[in-house]
Amino acid sequence: MEFLPDLLDPNARWVMLGVMAICASSATIGSLTLLRKQALVGDAISHSILPGVCLAFLIFETKAFWVLLPGAFVSGWISLRFIDWISQNSRIKSDTAIALVLSIFYGLGILMLTSIQHSGNAAQSGLDKFLFGKAAALMEQDGYTFLVFGAFVFLFVSLLYRPLRLLIFDRDFALTTGFPVFALELLLSVFTVSAIAMGIQAVGVVLMAALLISPGIAAKYWTSDFRVMLFTSAILGASGGFLGAGISLIWPKMPTGPWIVLILSLIALISAFLGTRKGVLRQYWMHKQNQIKILEENILKCFYHLGEPDASYEQKRSREEIQARRHFPPSRLNMGLKRLGRKGLLASQGGGACSLTEQGIQEARRIIRVHRLWEIYISKYMHLASDHVHEDAEAIEHIITPELEKELEHQLEYPIKDPHDQNIPYAPKK
Amino acid sequence: MVENVENPVLELHNVTVAYQRKPVLWNIDLTAPSGKLIGVIGPNGSGKTTMIKGILGLVPLSSGYVKLFDQNLDAVRQKVSYVPQRGSVDWDFPASVWDVVMMGRANPKNIWGRYTPEDWDIVERCLAEVNMEGFRKRQISELSGGQQQRVFLARALAQEADLYLMDEPFVGVDAATERAIVKLLKNMRAQGKTILVVHHDLQTVSEYFDWLVLLNTRLVASGPLAKVFQTDLLYETYGGKLNILSKVGDLIQARQHPMRESS
Amino acid sequence: MQRFLRKTYAIGLKCLGFFSICFLWTCTGGPPSGPSEDGLPLIVATTGMIADGIRNIAGDRLEVRALMGPGVDPHLYKASRDDLRLFREADMIFYNGLHLEGKMAEVLGKLGREKKVVPVAEVISPERLIPVNPDEKLYDPHVWFDIPLWKQVVEEISLELQAFDPEGKEVYQGRAAQYQASLDSLDRYIREKIDSIPQERRVLITAHDAFTYFGKAYQIEVKALQGISTLSEFGLRDVLDMVNFIVDRKIKAVFVETSIPRKSLEAVVEGCREKGHEVVIGGALYSDAMGEKGSPEGTYTGMVRYNVNTIYQSLR
Repeated sequence: MEFLPDLLDPNARWVMLGVMAICASSATIGSLTLLRKQALVGDAISHSILPGVCLAFLIFETKAFWVLLPGAFVSGWISLRFIDWISQNSRIKSDTAIALVLSIFYGLGILMLTSIQHSGNAAQSGLDKFLFGKAAALMEQDGYTFLVFGAFVFLFVSLLYRPLRLLIFDRDFALTTGFPVFALELLLSVFTVSAIAMGIQAVGVVLMAALLISPGIAAKYWTSDFRVMLFTSAILGASGGFLGAGISLIWPKMPTGPWIVLILSLIALISAFLGTRKGVLRQYWMHKQNQIKILEENILKCFYHLGEPDASYEQKRSREEIQARRHFPPSRLNMGLKRLGRKGLLASQGGGACSLTEQGIQEARRIIRVHRLWEIYISKYMHLASDHVHEDAEAIEHIITPELEKELEHQLEYPIKDPHDQNIPYAPKK
Repeated sequence: MVENVENPVLELHNVTVAYQRKPVLWNIDLTAPSGKLIGVIGPNGSGKTTMIKGILGLVPLSSGYVKLFDQNLDAVRQKVSYVPQRGSVDWDFPASVWDVVMMGRANPKNIWGRYTPEDWDIVERCLAEVNMEGFRKRQISELSGGQQQRVFLARALAQEADLYLMDEPFVGVDAATERAIVKLLKNMRAQGKTILVVHHDLQTVSEYFDWLVLLNTRLVASGPLAKVFQTDLLYETYGGKLNILSKVGDLIQARQHPMRESS
Repeated sequence: MQRFLRKTYAIGLKCLGFFSICFLWTCTGGPPSGPSEDGLPLIVATTGMIADGIRNIAGDRLEVRALMGPGVDPHLYKASRDDLRLFREADMIFYNGLHLEGKMAEVLGKLGREKKVVPVAEVISPERLIPVNPDEKLYDPHVWFDIPLWKQVVEEISLELQAFDPEGKEVYQGRAAQYQASLDSLDRYIREKIDSIPQERRVLITAHDAFTYFGKAYQIEVKALQGISTLSEFGLRDVLDMVNFIVDRKIKAVFVETSIPRKSLEAVVEGCREKGHEVVIGGALYSDAMGEKGSPEGTYTGMVRYNVNTIYQSLR
């Protein structure tokens, strides 16, 4: 923990501030790009700034930030216009156009860079740092510049998120309604290219795309609300920046830019796994829940079936009786019986036997009822033979909600018997 | 057979639209009356969607002009509502039913404005009219085809327009939803609105529409249902493209020939 | 139709304009590399320091060309098509070795099969080299800042030239002896100057680790932000450690290098300033490349002398 006071060191402060600001801004703008299905464009623009930087250097013979940045911007902007123009006015599809522009501009940039390196112009060295960024060398001025840019991005998005949402969701509708679509798209492009031109100083050309897109992807797994998604991606971006810079702070010789990108990718991966909205873990959890529900209800049904011939529903049943009626894996049967006991639907009767409680009987009746109603429904409307309906109902009975149950009863006009000629146990009227 | 009306709500004069240099609509001249349910039918690729997009300025006209309420589109945008094909939008977008219907209340003149309580009431009402009140918080990615169409319709209603242009609203929609929507459209007509629907199903045409436009790259007919919904006109519409016209179109595309000499 | 033509034409023109500008700027500048003039044998060296050494020994018996000009970083340099042409025409090639020319290993290896290619620094026995990773036999290549070591290199060059051109043997021997003498006096000069810097201020901080040999030979402590190669990355920790070191030891000046960007050290300087300690950038040292041709720093001795003077002025 001795590194904590180091956080107050000037260099650490500047780097942290700058990196978090640019990560948050890029993440927000990148999310918008992602939703517009233009993720690749961000990558293309990142690579396309190279010739602009080289040209600016060649013309003005300086590596000053305020000279190279406009160069980067112009080059990035031109590449964007090219991509649009090519995909709209030729047979080349947009992803091909993106690849084309990316390779041409980047190739040109490398050509110019190599030539500059060979020319022996003493001031030329370090242009290639634009390729990988130098986050560790950010200074106070950089930090503030990124912060100001971040403020602009925040302002832009918070004031205009409604028209932006409309524009991204349904462009034609926005056009028809009379929204200034071109102006908004222009503004969005300006912000995108600017974010890229700035972010490159932190993580470089090659890695910039990650800054734009990873946080947006991660955010998608946590929320389905547009505003929350933008906010979440900003937070995740800034966290990635913080942690990446933190790693560079604690251990020597750890390049900041690449670590930030690594952390962001990790965050995206974890989100895909754990995310509450669509994550793998959540799906797995839901699957498990379903399995448990099915198990419990099947056990209850078993009890009911055992008691049905002579209406002896309260009778205790041993495990062997249950297994005889319907097979359960022994460990699962145990688990199910325990859970049902805890829920008050079964009562333990000693020696491993249980019986249905009053509540348990009601619940068992409900499941049976729903099963048999469903059998009628599908045999009536899908014209299935009665020996086919049972399996379908076995699966579906667990998912019919009380509202659907009412609808079923109503639609089928309260039948008395199911296709197998068994009674339908309606709940006693209170 | 083209019947024209006085004071049309919609007028197309000599409209030609090209897509990738190939003419998709040739010389369309028609007028449409207000307060009617107008159907636009024709085979696939006959230019129906293009016509709607041309009317709304979403594709440029190679020639001719369009007038709505006897004015240019820009002057009357708030009176026009566009319900695009369901497939034209990505339903995976993070938005709820409420968010989408609320878009109907968006006002380009008030670009940073928040929505008012009045807007909320209107959206609530429109949701009720399409029977989707219970779905207001639902993610649009979780809706069925019929529900999506109803959301689009609710959004259009929320715009409180006078002219509605709908592109194939009944494709991929269950019968119950279709019946409900048609009922709603007829109510709107009763209130004096004009609804123009690009329709894909010949079976239901006579049940739904009072005015019909038959389109197959060129205008085959336009007029009251009874006069236009005739076998010979339908043959002409659906009987395949006009061969020569088609070939000329191909030539225009191949040689990049202008549609009009002045362009 | 005409409107479309005009639009295409306008855009096409803009494209052409943009690409032409880029291309033209690219083409201008860059060392001319035509075939050797005067019919003299052509010796090609990678770094300017080596070329300078060869020139001093060869006189006008041989034509000598350096591949990398002033301000060029040898760690990153990739041979271009013109360079390859030059190599092919060369009668003999000298390079530093010890992985200094990191990105040219393959090229040099291939050339070695066709003609004489000499890695001059590898003549030095390993005990006198500074190891980076002794298990893998990796050593610091910046040997030219240790004059006694560099004298071995010069001797090696002389022997190779004598073997290549036996007729000029006496010329080479004579000139080499002269050159060695000037190197001796340079060595004395360095020791004198460095010794006169007070002990506690004798710390040389540069952008990358090019001066370890210098430090070892002349008793001056050496520290750098980047490692042996400019390809190595440094992180925030390294910046902070450097700042703290400078502040603790009250170092007066740090030095950038002509072939490396200033930005990293500028951040260090700013950081020290913020912590209340004024440290300046004492000057730009020539580390991996020499100065402009024709200027005093354009020769090996000139460049070393300039470095030493700069260091002395800023630290004393």
